[in-house]
Amino acid sequence: MRKMSKLRLGVCLTVVALLYFGAWYAEKSMGANLGQAGFMLVGAYVYAVFTIPLKKHAAVYQYYNGGIIQFELPLIVALLLAGIVAALLAALIGLPVLRLKSDYLAIATLGFAEIIRAVVQWDSLGPITNGSNLLKTYPTFNNTKIFGTTVLFPFIVSGVCIALILLIINSTYGRAFKAIRDDEVAAEAMGVNLFHHKELSFVISCFFAGIGGALLAMFQGTVQANSFKSAMTYDVLLMVVIGGMGSVSGSVIASFLYIACSEWWLRFLDNPLTIGSFNVPLLRSGFRMVVFSAVIMVVVLFFRRGIMGDKELWNIGMRRQKAGRRARK
Amino acid sequence: MSESVLRLENITMQFGGVVAINDLTMHIDQGEIVALIGPNGAGKTTAFNCVTGVYEPTNGAVYFHDKLIAAGHPQGKMKRMYAGTNADKFVGMKVSLTPDRITHMGIARTFQNIRLFKSQTAFENVLIATHLRRTSNIFTAAFHLNYKEEKRNRDRAMELLGIVGLADVAEEKATSLPYGMQRRLEIARALATQPTLLLLDEPAAGMNPQETIDLGLFIQRIKEKFGLTVFVIEHHMDLVMGISDRIYVVEFGKLIAEGTPHEIQNNQAVIDAYLGGNDE
Repeated sequence: MRKMSKLRLGVCLTVVALLYFGAWYAEKSMGANLGQAGFMLVGAYVYAVFTIPLKKHAAVYQYYNGGIIQFELPLIVALLLAGIVAALLAALIGLPVLRLKSDYLAIATLGFAEIIRAVVQWDSLGPITNGSNLLKTYPTFNNTKIFGTTVLFPFIVSGVCIALILLIINSTYGRAFKAIRDDEVAAEAMGVNLFHHKELSFVISCFFAGIGGALLAMFQGTVQANSFKSAMTYDVLLMVVIGGMGSVSGSVIASFLYIACSEWWLRFLDNPLTIGSFNVPLLRSGFRMVVFSAVIMVVVLFFRRGIMGDKELWNIGMRRQKAGRRARK
Repeated sequence: MSESVLRLENITMQFGGVVAINDLTMHIDQGEIVALIGPNGAGKTTAFNCVTGVYEPTNGAVYFHDKLIAAGHPQGKMKRMYAGTNADKFVGMKVSLTPDRITHMGIARTFQNIRLFKSQTAFENVLIATHLRRTSNIFTAAFHLNYKEEKRNRDRAMELLGIVGLADVAEEKATSLPYGMQRRLEIARALATQPTLLLLDEPAAGMNPQETIDLGLFIQRIKEKFGLTVFVIEHHMDLVMGISDRIYVVEFGKLIAEGTPHEIQNNQAVIDAYLGGNDE
């Protein structure tokens, strides 16, 4: 039973991680966006606020007289709304922010993420957001069943999202995004409107960040603005770098490895272990993070272009073939 | 004014106190190949950048098919610092279009130092340039409802690669191609935007004499095939004299001569500019 729950933990975390990567991927064209956590927070809150059952409002919003939202939305609608609200917010924030470049853009997005976190915790918004208190009792992975099982739902949602992202990447717009990443000046000279396309990719990425946030909320069971710190954004960036910049399957694999390592496989390092009468040294609470950091350093040093580079899992065989053909010529 | 494709009127481009171009007036007519030559640092590429919207001219106006595409006059701090002429001629005129708008109107360019999309194949490089004539939006594109247009664009990109002789290497990474091929790929990419005016910034830079001759023939061939007008900056005099209908010569930002290749070859001012003849 314990083992089973660990497996589920791994599965769910993987799924959440998949969404992280999606959020990142579309935004590659606009440069560093360190505001991911802020948009995930928006998604998580929108989802939670609109799906808390009416009966539970009095208990959840106990400091705000049951809140002012006196209705609840179906799960799927709330999930979509989470993405849409995050996207709309991104469109607004993008107007000033996307005129900046590289480091300045990163700092500005980071700043906006912090602003969002602060605003959500604002006491006057309490009747909606419950201030700095927890949101809870909304539907989670554990009680969302499809075909009688709770395992499928996260996979289906993230599968749909990844499919959408892949479709966008392989469309003419995806190519334009890549062109901007490669060379802004040339892209503009080839008729790609920089601002329009950056705004578009920012909005798309934040849409998926919003849905990712909602899924994270479903996974955690409770939402509190305080947990959406910028460290969450760095987690996403780390996964992407480990997976290989520019590879969808690489990001998926990396996010699974990252989450599995930090939350699952290395867990045993945190518990004191005694074999026979020998007390294994160093194993104590917190040691896990030391080993984890070392693992990441090894990856960054020896897989500098990430696990997959810019190849896709389903392309590896193909590229080799082509290289072989060239060699034979 | 006659049927000029491109017309520059008294263009002055000043960066702070540095006058990069001073009072440049020129015109390019339909179907011509016009060259802009001059010693290093004479302001040739700056002139290109004024036409393509990278810079907004400090003073002067640029017309494309008699439509104003760029204009400026000294303003603010520039009023005091302005060192060019005709400061009052363009007062009240101010147009600055972004480069993508200008490309949309039908001016395509290549770059002096090659700027291909590095991570992408030769084919994708050309395909991206078809993006600006799209009729799809993000939704129809994502769900591949524009597959007809997509197919047309892919065919067109492949056809263009064939025309510039790169069909065999379509799936190679753009940056892994030899230098000369990268130059031709840049031209193919520019052609994919369906221009009427093609600006080539030193297309023969770094090429050997044989490659340069081939390039000259190639430029004439695509000019005929696509009904283009070509404006070229070049240092290789063999190429310039071989293909140009008319030549403009600039030195230190000022126009010092214009005329047919024959006239330019015998122009004393041009000879002085290139050989520094005055002192001897």
